[in-house]
Amino acid sequence: MNIRWYHFALWAAFMAVMFALPEFVSRGTLRTVIFANFLAIFAISWDVLSGRTGYISFGHPFLIGIGAYTTAILTKRFDVAIEASIPIAVIVTMIAGFIVFLPALRIKGSYFALVTLAFMELMYQLVQVIRPDLTGGTRGISGIQGITRGAVNGYYLSLTLLLVVAVTVWLVMRTRVGTALSAIGMNEESVRGSGLDTTKLKLFAFLFSALIAGLGGAFYAHYVGAIAPRALFDINFLFTIIVAALIGGAATTAGPIIGAFFLTFLLEYLRPYLPGAERYFIYGGVALLLYMYQPKGIIALLETMKDRIIRRSST
Amino acid sequence: MIKVTATSALAIICATMAAAEVKVGFIGSLSSDTGLSTLRGAEIAIEELNAAGGMNGEQIVMVTADTSEDPTEGVKAYEYLAETEEVDFIISGSIDDVSLAWMPRMQEFQIPTLDTWTSYIGIIDMVVEDPETMAPYFMNIASDEALATLYINFGADVLKGQMGWESTVILAEDTAFGEAITGLITDALGPVAGIKTTEIIKYDVNTVDFAPLFSRAQETGADFIYQVSTVNSQVVSSQYVKLQVPMPMTGVNVGALGLEYWEDTGGAGGGISTLSPVPSVGFELDPVSQSFVDTYQAKYTSRPVMPHFNGFNAYHGLKQAMAAAETAGGFGDVKAWSAEMKKQDLVLEKDGKLWLRYGFWGDDEVEEVTGRTYPHNARFDLTSPYEDAQPSMVVVQWKEDGSVGVVYPFEYATTEFTIPSWVK
Repeated sequence: MNIRWYHFALWAAFMAVMFALPEFVSRGTLRTVIFANFLAIFAISWDVLSGRTGYISFGHPFLIGIGAYTTAILTKRFDVAIEASIPIAVIVTMIAGFIVFLPALRIKGSYFALVTLAFMELMYQLVQVIRPDLTGGTRGISGIQGITRGAVNGYYLSLTLLLVVAVTVWLVMRTRVGTALSAIGMNEESVRGSGLDTTKLKLFAFLFSALIAGLGGAFYAHYVGAIAPRALFDINFLFTIIVAALIGGAATTAGPIIGAFFLTFLLEYLRPYLPGAERYFIYGGVALLLYMYQPKGIIALLETMKDRIIRRSST
Repeated sequence: MIKVTATSALAIICATMAAAEVKVGFIGSLSSDTGLSTLRGAEIAIEELNAAGGMNGEQIVMVTADTSEDPTEGVKAYEYLAETEEVDFIISGSIDDVSLAWMPRMQEFQIPTLDTWTSYIGIIDMVVEDPETMAPYFMNIASDEALATLYINFGADVLKGQMGWESTVILAEDTAFGEAITGLITDALGPVAGIKTTEIIKYDVNTVDFAPLFSRAQETGADFIYQVSTVNSQVVSSQYVKLQVPMPMTGVNVGALGLEYWEDTGGAGGGISTLSPVPSVGFELDPVSQSFVDTYQAKYTSRPVMPHFNGFNAYHGLKQAMAAAETAGGFGDVKAWSAEMKKQDLVLEKDGKLWLRYGFWGDDEVEEVTGRTYPHNARFDLTSPYEDAQPSMVVVQWKEDGSVGVVYPFEYATTEFTIPSWVK
């Protein structure tokens, strides 16, 4: 593991700033941060699978939705305690992650992406027609039991979840497994040629990604309090996740977090000035320009800036 | 010193003036006829109230939060209004699943909220089950159950009684509203109206070619098509006309609720009939509602050129919400406001007859036809001659010459139900 003391110092500084945030910002801003935290979790989950291994998933909302629906159905319809429903939701999502993994044994590239998109579409249709008494059909499920109440508590819960996920992913990606996953993204045949079992490695990536998606989806359902097929198994939701990961910097841990915060705040801060659909044009335009200017994302821009500052201070 | 004192005084005056405002939040789509109807109805009501001195002497201002008809954006929009804008009252032009998405936030923040478009009976059930946390919520459109119940009477009186039709094939879009209406219609159309449902054909809202679906409908041998369409409704109806489908079609077509329908279908909209909440296009208006429409049309030139029913609901509903707040001493005491809101009762007459009524059902008041309660729901009447309130819905029909009129209930009819000329 290539870990230095200053890595922990940076994480500690980030945590300190984030935990102190409620002292300095309004409750309205905290609500925006909560959505950014959840988007960051979803983007990290997508990045573990697609950013690292290169298997682009267009079906990530399928996994997030399964986590959300499982815990919602268990708590709302069967009075299962949240303490039990969330772990069950995560396990169910991991099983779904295994199902998504199966096509990856045979296909890759755009074919794999399309198959995963089909998973999402299939789930969109199924939740509306199969047992609508449980899923709520097209209207979804409202009045899902909350874990916290109020902006501050919701913020601390989502932040804790984000930090646990981010630090875990960061640590895992610094092990040899993480290195091998990134190598698969570069050249899978070479990794296989070097004697590593790429099937096992990919399975690990799919299950790990599903674990995060299930965890995020389950907590998200309890935070929002209402879920609907149109909100979860939706192409806009999918693109928001992917754009957050790409614009922040794919195949990094900090990148999806930065991307999620950037996109969420950009959209929310435009609201008072452009209350209608116009803000989505600005949002899309800024995202496009940024991505064209630096395809490696905001994190690459920040690193360039850091290098310049170091160079200037050393001369 | 004098300068400092004057500046301080000015700051205090400004702060007092800023505080002396009643802030209304609009939640809904800013790019749909539905959302704009509510928004504009509320804007006109606020202008009139402010011109008359505001609410308890305080001027009313409005801020907007767009939902883009997306449930997640609905949650964010409600949070924005509640915690960033800190509004006193929220008026909603949201569609069903968006209202359901922000409902937990409404329960949490306890902000008085009036829904003018959503008609889902499940929300009224939530009021029945949890009156405490649902106290700030009111829905001033008749619930979908009430709409469907009266539609069954149209089935019995006109479709079966006058036309002699005995079977239908349902052509319904795959949406929450489509599912609810389909369920209600199939449950009751057979046993009450004596019309059998032969098949239910569901289609995706993005469908652009309806020819195969119309062929399938014809193959069922049913007497007529019952359509349920709220999204891209002009597509299904214009294709029905252009293909000259040799079967009558009626049902729910939200596209046909606006005056732009004829233009949207390129003039291919004749023969289409739809149930509509009241007031609808082709519905005769009482003097007060007509005055509202005149003001609306003088003020706005873009679509919708005529407010949809929810525009009327917003106009009258917002005034009622302010009147309730005046009596309750503001919106702060939600229970007091809720109690006063329940007492609001505006009766609008036309030619000496009760024409429209904006009031709410009592908490324990049982509606005779359905045998259930509708707390916090708009008052409606399901029984002719509609002396207690207006009917929960009317059926309107677009004719082949581009005119539109009400065909049912007969007391409100301005024209007769007819089948298109190409249907033999």
